[in-house]
Amino acid sequence: MNKSSSRRRAQIGEFWRRFRKNKVAMLGLVILIVIVGMAVFADLIVPYSKCVEQLGADKLQGPSLRHWFGTDELGRDLFARIVHGSRNSLMVGVTTSLLALLVGATLGASAAYFGGMVDNIIMRLIDIFTCIPPILLSLAVVAALGKTLRNLIIAMTISCIPGTVRLIRSVVITVAEQDYVEAARSYGTSNARIIFRYVLPNAMGPIIVNTTMMISDMILSAAGLSFIGMGIQPPRPEWGALLSNAQSYLFTAPYMLFFPGIFIILTSMAFNLVGDGLTDALDPKLKD
Amino acid sequence: MGETLLEIRNLKKYFRTGAGMLHAVDDLSFKIPKGKTIGVVGESGCGKSTLGRTILRLHEATSGEIWFQGQDILKADKRRMKEIRPKMQMIFQDPYSSLNGRMTVRQLIAEPLIVNKICRSRREIDEKVDEIMETVGLSQRLSMSYPHELDGGRRQRIGVARALVLDPEFVVCDEPVSALDVSIQAQILNLLMDLQEQRDLTYLFITHDLSVVKHISDEIMVMYLGQCVEMGPSQAVFDSPAHPYTEALLAAIPIPSIESKHKRRTLLQGEVSTPINPGKGCRFAPRCPRATEVCRVQEMKLREVGDHHYSAALCQNREYS
Amino acid sequence: MSDEKKLLEVKDLSIAYQTDLETVHAVNHVTFSLNQGETLGLVGETGAGKTTTALGIMGLLPKRTAKITSGNVYYEGKDLLQCGKKEMLGIRGSSISMIFQDPMTALNPVLCVGDQIAETLQLHNAKHLTREEIEAKVDETLELVGIPKERKKEYPYQFSGGMRQRVVIAMALINDPSLLIADEPTTALDVTIQAQILSMICELQRKYKTAVMMITHDLGIVAETCDKVAVMYAGEIVEYGTLEDIFTGDRHHPYTVGLFGSIPSLTRSARRLQPIEGLMPDPTQLPEGCAFAERCRYCQEICRTTKAPVQNDHGHLVRCYFEGQPFAGEED
Repeated sequence: MNKSSSRRRAQIGEFWRRFRKNKVAMLGLVILIVIVGMAVFADLIVPYSKCVEQLGADKLQGPSLRHWFGTDELGRDLFARIVHGSRNSLMVGVTTSLLALLVGATLGASAAYFGGMVDNIIMRLIDIFTCIPPILLSLAVVAALGKTLRNLIIAMTISCIPGTVRLIRSVVITVAEQDYVEAARSYGTSNARIIFRYVLPNAMGPIIVNTTMMISDMILSAAGLSFIGMGIQPPRPEWGALLSNAQSYLFTAPYMLFFPGIFIILTSMAFNLVGDGLTDALDPKLKD
Repeated sequence: MGETLLEIRNLKKYFRTGAGMLHAVDDLSFKIPKGKTIGVVGESGCGKSTLGRTILRLHEATSGEIWFQGQDILKADKRRMKEIRPKMQMIFQDPYSSLNGRMTVRQLIAEPLIVNKICRSRREIDEKVDEIMETVGLSQRLSMSYPHELDGGRRQRIGVARALVLDPEFVVCDEPVSALDVSIQAQILNLLMDLQEQRDLTYLFITHDLSVVKHISDEIMVMYLGQCVEMGPSQAVFDSPAHPYTEALLAAIPIPSIESKHKRRTLLQGEVSTPINPGKGCRFAPRCPRATEVCRVQEMKLREVGDHHYSAALCQNREYS
Repeated sequence: MSDEKKLLEVKDLSIAYQTDLETVHAVNHVTFSLNQGETLGLVGETGAGKTTTALGIMGLLPKRTAKITSGNVYYEGKDLLQCGKKEMLGIRGSSISMIFQDPMTALNPVLCVGDQIAETLQLHNAKHLTREEIEAKVDETLELVGIPKERKKEYPYQFSGGMRQRVVIAMALINDPSLLIADEPTTALDVTIQAQILSMICELQRKYKTAVMMITHDLGIVAETCDKVAVMYAGEIVEYGTLEDIFTGDRHHPYTVGLFGSIPSLTRSARRLQPIEGLMPDPTQLPEGCAFAERCRYCQEICRTTKAPVQNDHGHLVRCYFEGQPFAGEED
């Protein structure tokens, strides 16, 4: 038992060592830690009341010592709104992507691995979903279930499942054709073990990249939904909503666009960099 | 002949394709004696790999029986199959694609033991893996390496170790040396023969290389488009081939000796087709230099032409007999 | 041998692949020559540098990584390594052409085979042929390689592996090259098809007096097709001579002996093969002495420290201190 756990630790250590060597991925990780830290400790950084507090006198103020990122048209402190908005944005982005990944991986992998009838049924269902534009699908779900954060997440997850299923199915099909899968079957490996120990690890690369891209995509589509009033409801702050709000003041107060924009870009970039780094570090072929 | 380990009766494996039924393995019956090597030769598409995979139930047979230890394994249920599986293993052709690149050498070899829950403790697994690595000539320092860091010969040794770690009685070797260089090929062939002697293994040795099959096999089966055209003791088949196809195959091999310089030989015309919805009559007839009208319409059956030597040809080979 | 005019002469050719981390010495000081109408067999295992040598002659080495570190390649007295890009384009495909191993990927799947063959002709078209003449030439070449000319409007997927290799050969032959480099032309094919292709190559060669450089790992193919043989190991030619020298001569390089001991024979029956133990040395750090020393049964101290000189016995060259060894089979 001891030997195997120490071996496990050695593998994790090896993985970390390789990840650390990748400077760009490390930069992504640092940015990610800062942003996640900001979301987790938002209340310690700046109290929530500050981001709903409307200071009539301070409307549309540029960045200053009092309001680091300036204020919006109602005089709310933008810094506070961005810090607290990170909670909602990350929540929506990460949860929807992970949920979509979970459902997509299960459906896509089973469709690819079992083939035949299973494949046919799953893929035809997915085809039906693909016929409806994603934004319309999300709208319909939110309209039907009500405007809560939970429903928003459900709606957005459903809208990005088809793409994920298709991607994972195609990757898994290639991997499942490899001889080592047949070899595993020849010594009696169960289907579940084959999928989790042989197929998925080898299909990991594109899946990780896709998921990290999806997170930034989701933050932006949440913004879209907020814009038409179906997303996170005001006065709760959310990056996408901040951004869409800012476009009315594009020329008078460009900083309103600038700060939330920077944070969205940084977050999606950080996720992508970490995702690439993960893919490389997990692949033994790229060792050193 | 000694004790029979495996008996195959009327084994058929058909695949449904767009163009019709593909008769990959068509009505094969033969016995595999214990501790011997039976070589299966034929060109690509003759169904030799499908045969090996069908015997191991990696493909489900269309019909037929496979008797192993007093039981028809094609009728065995899941639980019984779990007991039989470890006794029948396979060595694959491509030593690269048949190994999961995400696992270390040790993990790869331990995997069958873990899956089949053979060992009670981690320690026992480690001991078994160490032992088999030693047997196949893999040094201990390689145990934490990944397959892509090793050369073809070593990779194929991993494949051999993985097949043998479960202590099987019967091993299907599917072109185990075709992807290797000649000097490495000889090392692996010698290893396989040594292991057979030490462990009383029975091999079904699938290959397209006649010199390899002659070297390693006790008995030979020649396949053409899913059917067995000739079967018999290795020496007999090579010394006096009874089927025109066997004869053509033998004539086609370039022999590394000075006498073969600019040798003029009878060439087989045409190419192998696919056995989709084959008609009656000999499947080799379209390419056969000796085919007659009868060959094209009459169903071919294996007939005894010598001691345990069978051929599906109507004509008798006069040149050799 | 000396009075005939040399068609191709490779002198002291060395090729290395350079990456950021290491230098792979793929070909080291290779020297050989080829006369008109002759077949030279280049035998060796994976990584021996056979294909790199061929690509070096053709000027097809990857520009960014490969570097020719020494040597000359003379074709009809002209040094190909000094030729400009344009000049090389004119020679490649018309005077020297090459057949690759895999016929499945060598053809463009969206062009019918007739057009593909015609294209190679049009590219060079030295004789300024008209459309009709080109068509006629394509038909003629197809017949030559055993493809009925009615099939020229078909696409590659409609051809089997053997037929595709015939198409590839037709493309290589249409400009009447004087040198044909065949890189494992039959490795991907079945034995009966291999026999058809090999005898076709030999027949065409006799007919048109084409020189052939046959790259293979199969000594059987060498025995059937070649006049001269060069055995390569770790980027070096370790033994070079006529077919008779290599297959029957008294003295051999230990590697050649090992190679013969490794192949199961159809005629002789031996219970065990005599393989060469060990592996080829890492081409990034070749040993100082003989590259084969590690695996050699007859290795002495001197073999490890200095490169053996080439022993010349009437044109039969063996790179070994001990003038090589007799075949194991005869010795046992």
